[in-house]
Amino acid sequence: MAQWPHERSLVKNLAGKPFALIGVHIKYGGDDDASIVKKVMVKAQLNWRSFVDRGAIADKWKPAGTPAYYIIDSKGVIRFKWAGAPGAKAIYAALEKLIQETEKDAKKSPK
Amino acid sequence: MLFMSVALAEVEGQDKPATPAEKYQALLKERQDAKLPLKFLELAEENPKDPVALEALIQTVSIVNGTAFPTGGKDSPGERALTLLRRDHIRSDKLGLVCQQVLFGFHKSHEEFLRAVLETNPHPEVQALACLSLAQFLTDRLNRLDLIKDQPDLAERYRGVFGKDYLEELQRQDRAAVAKEAETLFDRAAERYADVQIPVTYFGSGGAVGDKAKAELFQIRHLAVGKEAPEIDGEDQDGARFKLSDYRGKVILLDFWYRL
Repeated sequence: MAQWPHERSLVKNLAGKPFALIGVHIKYGGDDDASIVKKVMVKAQLNWRSFVDRGAIADKWKPAGTPAYYIIDSKGVIRFKWAGAPGAKAIYAALEKLIQETEKDAKKSPK
Repeated sequence: MLFMSVALAEVEGQDKPATPAEKYQALLKERQDAKLPLKFLELAEENPKDPVALEALIQTVSIVNGTAFPTGGKDSPGERALTLLRRDHIRSDKLGLVCQQVLFGFHKSHEEFLRAVLETNPHPEVQALACLSLAQFLTDRLNRLDLIKDQPDLAERYRGVFGKDYLEELQRQDRAAVAKEAETLFDRAAERYADVQIPVTYFGSGGAVGDKAKAELFQIRHLAVGKEAPEIDGEDQDGARFKLSDYRGKVILLDFWYRL
């Protein structure tokens, strides 16, 4: 997929930061089990964790299609969302902003 | 009514000028004609009292709104058809489909049409679709408003695609008030009209009004920017169970994808 190279480099570049890319593999009409999704992920070197949806997640979240993205901050609040790919720049800018926020908060209140 | 007048015409032979119903049937066969919306409109304008006028106006609206960008100025066939539907057929039981077809529109006239149907039409099935469609129309407007705030260069493209007036009106919207009205309308649709069926259109695959409204309410209340993300509990590609909240404390890019 067009967005995979960008997502691979995101995960690489943000290693060590308070960040995680989490996939939600949508089943659409098929009956994809985890092993099929796993095979694709290994082959395409998708180095992150993904839910393998059997329908329950899509029923609730109702993405208009794929790809669709949500960016959730460290407190669990939705801060950005896109239906369709907004482009590498927009995603990176949003993540950078929130990661900085998170790092600032961590400094203010050290555990 | 329609079929009967066609049958009569056949009995009487073809020497007489075609009846409005015959003209309507002939137009239905011309699927490729770019002037079709205008032709249906003119048929309705010429025969305002004939039962076929309503059908013809519905055809015009349906064809014009068969694309995601139903453009056209004040004097376009689509706009004139909506004006006539409001003037002559606002109480018709056939307007439900029209409501669903104009919801992706963006002209003020689309909004005014939906409001007029919702206020005036006596049929619960039509009210249901006017209520749902108006809520969807307002939601769509909010989405566009958010997009141009997020991407200022998009505003310039909107000016080109939708026109200067549309853009200015969009920028004048009171976001909170529009959002509140949309939510109230979805609530009303879910409560009063849950079992009414949505007609299948170019854009939508039908279903019940209640289900659609509830899904939209879930989006507004739980999946909007600023809301706490709902929990996801499922299995990963190795079959291991995990939760979205396991990653609390980190910024998460949640990526809905498909393997192809």
